[in-house]
Parts: sequence; C-alpha cells; structure tokens
Amino acid sequence: MWIVAANVLVGSLLEGMGSACEMIWDREHECMSRRNLERLQLERLKETVRRIYDRVPFYRQKMDEAGVRPSEIHSLSDVRKLPFTVKDDMRANYPFNLFAVPMKEIIRIHSSSGTTGTPTAVGYTRNDLDLWAELCARFISAAGVTSDDVAQVAFGYGLFTGGFGLHYGLEKVGAAVIPASAGNTQRHLTLMQDFGATTLVGTPSYALHLGEAVNESGIRDKIKLRWGLFGAEPWTSQMRAEIEQKLGVSATDNYGLSEVIGPGVSGECEESKDGLHVSEDHFLVEIVDPETLEPLDYGEQGELVITTLTKEACPVLRYRTRDITRLNPEPCQCGRTNARMEKVQGRTDDMLIVRGVNVFPSQVESVLLEIEGTEPHYMLVLYKEGVMDALEVWVEVSERIFSDEMKELRELEESILNRLENALGLSIKLKLVEPRTIARSEGKAKRVMDLREKTT
Amino acid sequence: MIWNPEAECMPREELEKLQGERLRETVRHCYENVPAYRKKLDDAGIKPEDIRSVEDVKHLPFTTRDDLRDNYPFGMFAVPMEDVVRVHSSSGTTGKPKVVGYTRKDIDTWAELMARTIGCGGAGKNDIIQNAYGYGLFTGGLGIHYGAEKIGATVIPISGGNTKRQIMVMQDFGSTMLACTPSYALYIADTALEMGVDVRDLPLKYGIFGAEPWTDGLRKEIEAKMAVRATDIYGLTEVIGPGVASECEVQDGLHVFDDHFLPEIINPDTLEVLPPNMPGELVFTSLTKEAFPIIRYRTRDLSMLKTDPCPCGRTHFRMGRITGRTDDMLIIRGVNVFPSQIETVLLEIEGTEPHYLIVVNRVDSLDCLEVWVEVSERFFSDEIKGLETLEKKIQHEIQNVLGITVTVKLVEPKTIERSEGKAKRVVDNRPKD
Repeated sequence: MWIVAANVLVGSLLEGMGSACEMIWDREHECMSRRNLERLQLERLKETVRRIYDRVPFYRQKMDEAGVRPSEIHSLSDVRKLPFTVKDDMRANYPFNLFAVPMKEIIRIHSSSGTTGTPTAVGYTRNDLDLWAELCARFISAAGVTSDDVAQVAFGYGLFTGGFGLHYGLEKVGAAVIPASAGNTQRHLTLMQDFGATTLVGTPSYALHLGEAVNESGIRDKIKLRWGLFGAEPWTSQMRAEIEQKLGVSATDNYGLSEVIGPGVSGECEESKDGLHVSEDHFLVEIVDPETLEPLDYGEQGELVITTLTKEACPVLRYRTRDITRLNPEPCQCGRTNARMEKVQGRTDDMLIVRGVNVFPSQVESVLLEIEGTEPHYMLVLYKEGVMDALEVWVEVSERIFSDEMKELRELEESILNRLENALGLSIKLKLVEPRTIARSEGKAKRVMDLREKTT
Repeated sequence: MIWNPEAECMPREELEKLQGERLRETVRHCYENVPAYRKKLDDAGIKPEDIRSVEDVKHLPFTTRDDLRDNYPFGMFAVPMEDVVRVHSSSGTTGKPKVVGYTRKDIDTWAELMARTIGCGGAGKNDIIQNAYGYGLFTGGLGIHYGAEKIGATVIPISGGNTKRQIMVMQDFGSTMLACTPSYALYIADTALEMGVDVRDLPLKYGIFGAEPWTDGLRKEIEAKMAVRATDIYGLTEVIGPGVASECEVQDGLHVFDDHFLPEIINPDTLEVLPPNMPGELVFTSLTKEAFPIIRYRTRDLSMLKTDPCPCGRTHFRMGRITGRTDDMLIIRGVNVFPSQIETVLLEIEGTEPHYLIVVNRVDSLDCLEVWVEVSERFFSDEIKGLETLEKKIQHEIQNVLGITVTVKLVEPKTIERSEGKAKRVVDNRPKD
C-alpha cells in the first residue's frame, strides 16, 4: 500500500513541477525483473493447472487426452504440453460447466450477446472482481488518469465486460465516474461540457464520432478532455492522430476479452504508446502460428494465446484469441518491464467487429434458418457512415414472398430485422432481395463485403 | 432475511438519539461546505448548534428541485471533486437534469442500504439476482448492483430491454430474484408465455420492484403469474437512488432506513408537519451522506407514515405506498417525465402550434406515450413527406431530451380541446388498480 501512496506523492509533486510524470499503479509487479516475473509465473502456472485439473472435468478430460498431468509442468515452456482452448469449448460448456468454484462463490456473471447461436458465460468470485479492478487500474494509470480526473464512460453497461471493467478500474483509481453508457451523442456532448469530463472511455470509432460532433457544435474550446482510453475494436495510428487532434486528448489503446477477464489484459502507457503492456504476472501469453499451432519467438507475428495464472472462477488454459499480434520483451522507457504486445492487426477467423460489437456471419445464418420465407443466401455488407461502422444485411427471399402483397413483405422485413438486431445486439439495415441476386460460389461462400477503408 | 439486525432492529430510543447526532452533523456539514445551504440556514436564522435533537428538523428550511436546478451541476456538492467517485443524474423539469455525487463512503452506505433492501425482498448470498433495471446515469441499475454484490449474491447485470434475452437468461442462469420496474416484470411474464415458458416453473422466487408507483392489484397479478414474492422498493436520485425504503415480508408499508434518512410528512400547501397516519407530501433529510447531503427535500410524492411496530422485527418506521404526486410529473416505464419538458421540445420545433396532448396508455402491461401535436395550417396542406419528416423530428427530439420513445400524432389545427383555465395536457388511460 505504501508503494502506491509514495507513487501518488511523487506523481503529484512532479505534476506540480510541471513535469508529465506518469504513475505506475503497481510498481512491484509492473517493474519486476524478468527473472522474478518468470519465477512467479511458473509458481502460479503450476497452481492453476493443478486447480483446473482437480476441479473442471472438461479440462481434466482434455489434459488426459493430451497425456499431460499437472505434475509434468516444470518450466514455463511446459505450457506447450497443455491443450488449447477455443471459443467452441466455451459454447459447448454453456452456461457454467467451466466454473472452477461452486455457484455460491460466484458473485458476477457476464455473457456474450445474442439470442441465437450458443452464447458463452463467464463468472467471477470476489477475488476475481478485485483482481479485475486492479488490472484495469494499472492501464488506466498508465494512460495518465488519476483520482483528480472526471471520467465519462461511453461503453455500454450490461452483460458485456467492457463498461464494467473500466468502471471498477476507474473507481479504484478514485476518478469521478460518470456512467454515461453508450449512445445519445448529444447527451455525451452536454456531459462533457457541463461536468467537465477530463477522460473519455469507449470505442475508438465512437470517440472519433464524438470528436466530429464536438467540432461541428463549436464546443472544442469548452471541453476539458485530456485522456482517451479506447478499445474493443482494432484502430490504426492514423485514427489515433485524428482522435487526438479532434478531442484534444492523449489517446491510448487497451485490450482484453471476456473469455480471459474482460478489459485489463493489456494497455498502452501514455509515455511511449509503443505496444500494450501485458499484465504478465496474471496472464501467460504466447504467440503461435495459427495454422500449425507451433510456438513463435518474440518479434514474430502470430495468434495470441493466453493462460490465466490467478483467476479463480473461470481459469483458462491456452485460450486461442484469434487476434494477430507480436510480443516485445524489451523494458519500456516508462519503467515497466512486462512484455508489450503490438496493437492487434486483425483476426484469424471470420469474426467482424462492428461499432465495438463482435459479429459472426454464422449468427446471421442461425437467425435466417429459423425464419420461413428466407433462402439461406445472405451477405453482410460493411461500410462507413461518416466515421461509424454500419452493417447492411442482404437476404434473399423466396419467389413466393416477393410476388405476394407489399404488406406481407414488409412484415417479413420487420420480423427479420428485429430478430437480427436482437441476435447481434446491434442496429443494422436490412435489404430483402430477389432469389439469385447474391452470387453463388463453388467453394466456401463469400458472406462478407467489407467496404470499410483499410488504412494502416 | 434481515441484513443488518443491529441497525434495522435498533430500539427507537437509541435510534432517535443517533438520528439527532447525525442530523446535527449533517447540518454542520451543509452549513460549512454548501453556499446554497448556508444561505438558506442564515435566512432561516438557524445555526448548526441549534440542532439539539431529531425534533429540531422541523425548524430547518426545505429544499426543492428548483434548488438543484439553480445549482446545476455541482453547486450543492459538499466535498471537493477529487473526493467524488461517482456522478449520477436523472431528468429534471426543464432542460437541466438533477445531478448528484458520491464519495467512496457514500457508495459503501448506498451498497449497505441496498443490501438491506434485497434482504427485505427475501434474498441472500446464495441467490442469483437478475438486475433488469437500467444501468447508466440512472441510479437504479448500479444501485441494486452494488447492494447485491455486497451481499455476495451472484449478480447478472443484464440491464433493461431485449425481453427475449431476459427470459433466456432467467432459464439458463437460474435467476432466483428479479429486479426491475413492476410493469416490466409483468411484461416479461407475458412474453415468456408467448415463448412457451411459464415463469412459475423457473427457480425465480423473489422480485424487488420500484421506480414507478404500482397498485396491490398489479402486485397480485405479478405474484400469480410469476410465483414470486413481489416487494415494493422506493428511492429517488436526490436522496440517494433506490435504498431509501423497502417493504418487508409483511408487505404492509415500506420501512424507511431512518438511521440514514429522516422522513416527514407535510401538508404541501401549508408546509406544516403532519402526525402519523395522515396523508401528505414525503420529505427526506439525509443523515450520513457526504458528497450530496440533503435537507428536508420535498419529494412531491404523496404518502403517510406509520409508527406502530412491524411484526417483522425491524424498528424503522414505515411509509405507506405512494398514492400519487403533488405535481404533474408522470412516470413512464420508470422514467420521470414532466409535460413541461415535452412542451419545451415542441416550442423549439417549427411547424407546431402550442397545443398538444399527452396520452398515456398501457399496452401489454407496458406504459406507452402518445404525443398529439397540432400543426400549422400550412404544414397540413403540404406534402405527406413534410409531415412525416416533422413527425420523425419531434419523435427524435423527444428521444434525445427525455430518453423515451413516444408515438407522435400530428393533428389539424383546433383538434385539441381549448380550456378556460389551466390546459389539460395529459390524458392518463392507465388503470387505477
């Protein structure tokens, strides 16, 4: 505790002196020597593997099939003996079969969106929630935020982990949290002006949208924003520059996923903005070749794989994130020694991110298959409306419907639209098209037309 | 289940002494830190030392929503912003919303009071609580959330909306308590039946419902359709949010957590304090709040106070269920709406005449608002497109300002009845029992 207090003191002294000193939330763990860190990781890895093996039948079975026992983990590289975990494993064990503690110890549940396709659920014990808040406090501090700040959270609150992760982290840091939630741009502008928000939290595309709205309303010099913490979707350095210019903030990236904990896996430091510091004392990260699954070295680009080292309710072994990145173990000029991951470049699967929401073409397919009158031919068209992502779904309808009354067609349209929006958790446009409008293909059907610009 | 027996069953004599101490401290805190309160107290000729017991509350000046509006946004905060860890707000009469703040200790107090509320509702740490109150700037969602977390129950922070998913989650996660507005609870039950799911067959046992007034008739319907014990809970943003009062298993009045909030009933016209069992306007004084303390806040809610002991064992006095308002505020699906807000929106839009009618209906157990607006002659004879655009514009503006979706019905000039005196602006078709 005294380490944190000393940091606050030093931080505020230096700030008083006009120097841009940044606070390290947990110096002991964020600036460990590699040797001590690896020792800690190994200890925790052994414990976690033992615990998972003993308490979660699904993982025990997987490990037995792979022929590996907890006692065979002697070094960090032995993590490679362990089987991978994929999203489908979580779907197959919905809702609670991967929990490593009894329900009465679970005090929070988060879940993926949608009512079709199998959702996933994750749980947290009280210790897990404390850990989550701590991890978020780390990157929030790295981003420049302190207890003097007023933070406007523009993430949705609910079953998604985004809003809550940031909320509890900001609260831990002691900032004044404005739980504004997502949407209603006009209200966000009013809050920024009236409440003097100094920090904005949300998706980068929404931040850009707000930036444009701020400038169009001529209130740029009335707002007090200094820090921007953005995540939940990939964004380029050009976009960062644009956001920083439009809102007058220093913008940092942060990364996480609900299967692992939510936000809090890693985050950029405001000082370098050169890679996201990974909380390696809690997450063992690897990079693998997405085709061969062979481990890759530092500096090589591949798929990020994460093993939790301290989570109680939902520990996970070698989770394949499908996110493409690379790792940099060099200590950063900010003083932190944990490895940095490069900003996520893309995905290895067909998942799309639309306005910060994960969308799988298969979700659309599931919905359509349930509805009479539609053919199993659809296309997801992604484009930009201004700076915001937009999604239009084209659906072929059967001959009969198209030649029927307008009224029936309109009802079908409304029904499909409602079900899709519910399933995806996103508002979209829908276009019903005549049979044979959407191109057929010999091999794997092309389901997505992504017209959004790729600026790298 | 009594969450905090020491506090909730404190002998009245001890409690009233505690109230006196806390009242004096609160008045001092307000006097020293909030200019608006210092002025009010000076004008009334009262110093903090003049508060010697809880009875002295009747000498203190009142606070109204106008005070909050005049001090928007943070003028009534009693601590520096660095000590504030949360800001919430709810809609106000015209333009400015009401804004409140919380220190870390206030958040803990709030969680404690919500833990008591959830305990009153029957749940404990082994329960699975589906929180369908809206999360965000409203105090409902986060209020229930922190209380449920304090108790150690499993919290499902589902927030409002997407009813199909509410039902799926209720089945899949085995929720045992539901928290939402009473009208939404009924809507969930009815929608579930349409989906072939009978909520009575699910593990759901308890419900804590509030944010809008509801009758015993509605309670019986909910309890029959969902096989739950339906508990009325009460609160308001200006005082803390939910967590001001709650029914217990006896379901005969709501225990006001009066170690933290001092209740009074006054005659709304003469402002005199009324004795127990006399209906009047509810007034609250906070006793422990740090960031946003409040002195004799006039809620505009009509109720009465019962001082006879409750069989449950709790010694907090009970307030009767809210029977109405002293002003014209409506509550639509848990959201406060003032006709004057709608008027303000309309007056800013070109093409409308200053004649409107707000019609409130209940469709499938949910409140629906229809706004009838007279448009100028010129508009009505123009293209249909122009009318459609105007309709959408009005709907959009109302959504922006009030956060609710309404149906807009444009009518010809002179369609809406004129009146000699105060115009009748609201037609409330919702059943009274």
